[in-house]
Amino acid sequence: MTAAATTNDGSERAPAVIAVGLRKSYGERVAVDGIDFAVEPGVCFGFLGPNGAGKTTTMKMIYGLASIGGGELAVLGMDAVTERRAIKQRLGVVPQETNLDGELTVRENLLTHARYFEIDAKVAAERAEELLGFSLLSERADERVWALSGGMKRRLLIARALINEPDLVVLDEPTTGLDPQARLAVWRALDRLKRRGVTLIITTHYMEEAERLCDRLVIMDHGKIVTEGKPGDLVLEHVGREVLELKLAEECDAEALIGALDGRLDGHELADEMSSLMLFAPDAEALLAEIDHQRFPHDQALVRRATLEDVFLRLTGRTLRE
Amino acid sequence: MSERTYAGLGDRIPARDLIPSPRHAAAVWRRNALVFSKVWKGALLPQFVDPLFYLMALGFGLGTYVARINGVPYEDFIAPGLIASAAMWSASFETTYNVYMRMNENKLYDAVLATPVEVQDLVAGDLSWSASRAVVYGTSFLVIVTLFGLIGSPWAILIPAFLLLGGLCFSTIGYTFTALIPKIDLYSYFFTLGITPMFLFSGIFFPFDRLPEWVEVVAWMTPLYHMVEITRGLATGPEALSILAHSAWLAVVSLALFYVPVRALRNRLVA
Repeated sequence: MTAAATTNDGSERAPAVIAVGLRKSYGERVAVDGIDFAVEPGVCFGFLGPNGAGKTTTMKMIYGLASIGGGELAVLGMDAVTERRAIKQRLGVVPQETNLDGELTVRENLLTHARYFEIDAKVAAERAEELLGFSLLSERADERVWALSGGMKRRLLIARALINEPDLVVLDEPTTGLDPQARLAVWRALDRLKRRGVTLIITTHYMEEAERLCDRLVIMDHGKIVTEGKPGDLVLEHVGREVLELKLAEECDAEALIGALDGRLDGHELADEMSSLMLFAPDAEALLAEIDHQRFPHDQALVRRATLEDVFLRLTGRTLRE
Repeated sequence: MSERTYAGLGDRIPARDLIPSPRHAAAVWRRNALVFSKVWKGALLPQFVDPLFYLMALGFGLGTYVARINGVPYEDFIAPGLIASAAMWSASFETTYNVYMRMNENKLYDAVLATPVEVQDLVAGDLSWSASRAVVYGTSFLVIVTLFGLIGSPWAILIPAFLLLGGLCFSTIGYTFTALIPKIDLYSYFFTLGITPMFLFSGIFFPFDRLPEWVEVVAWMTPLYHMVEITRGLATGPEALSILAHSAWLAVVSLALFYVPVRALRNRLVA
């Protein structure tokens, strides 16, 4: 486990979340299979993984909607089993499924939520106005929620999660199903939160989102954490700097090609039933020149920077889940 | 990915998960009251007209043939009972269809339970709201039958307070059913085999004194019987002891049953 971080004034802040051997089963199915992680305060911490990897279950254990199956979980320095109510008082939650109160207006959604936190009515009214501005919903404040677009609903969900000025915000796939503009608006909102020093935990299927937002992340698969680190470090560690994607010609011998490039590769991967080859190397351009020089036949060739998506697919495989 | 599955009653829960926090329950109550304040005109009418039709058809219609029951005109006999049943219908609809929609369709409880509100607060808030709503329906009907001149005793002014208690009991029963069922179709059983027979056989429309004794024994086991005894008692001049005994029945059942939905929902929503 990582030790406490040090803030600007030199005082030590305890990790926002510490999990040790955390597990959870639903009947026979093991959803989370003994994971360890620590989230330092003030960072944006990501959970990546295919569907069914255990991300949402982990989130739910953090925000009290799933009981702790085994191991230990401390949130904001409190025990997740015995101090559930006190933890939730300081938490903001953006769930995967939109669960706004459809019978209430936008503003009433915020004010009603504030009452669950026992926030004084006057303070709640002020914060609601502020959050309406923050989420660009001031003009829709008195409309019923069902009249909002998907992007607006997401922004309202985020605003609602901030009504208690939380120390930790948990966001489960906050941008799934949004158009690019709406996603950008959510990203901006999260950036502003980060600058205020709020700790964020986020799950996502979008690798560019994780690269853009997360200071640190874990990749989960089959209930376990398969790797953890900074997005850039993970790319370097598991893939390297650049990728050469080759569509192989039918007569090309992939094994021979890989053998011929021995020593110049960080790694390789064959996909689409041996017809497409991914080569990981520090300088993909030079690698392509070498392949052409040695007259290996191929169709398209694409040189690009290695990304988190390469890491993800290398670690969790290319087969479809579910 | 949704992990929510039908859990039945589920595992035992510790005692600390049973005591509601009044302020959190009040927040849940206020949410429900806020929604009701927007829709009350539309919502009040159908459930309110219903007992009125019974009063017309049976009281003023059949009543012209059935001159008197136990010395009182037939419409005077059934009016207090219909106040009780108005509260029952209100509480039963609120804690069945309305709660089901909030919990399973709109996923509202997932949002509430991710705040400091715990399951026992949620259940207590919903139940106290449903009981309050039953008071609104029962009292509206009390006003109507008073205007018709069917209420003979000033003690009837106490009826709303007892409707709160009866409303709580009906609500707890409906909520328990909702907490235990896997799908919405099962409500037809609840109403056809539970609420409607109770409505017909709990002493609203005929007294028990000329029927075999076992009929009243069976009726005694239903909450509506006790609620009707209370409203009729207060509407005609009460016996304090009898009203106390019937109230005790309603209070004990409400309290004892509270455990079941709390346990079932904890296992269903936050397992």
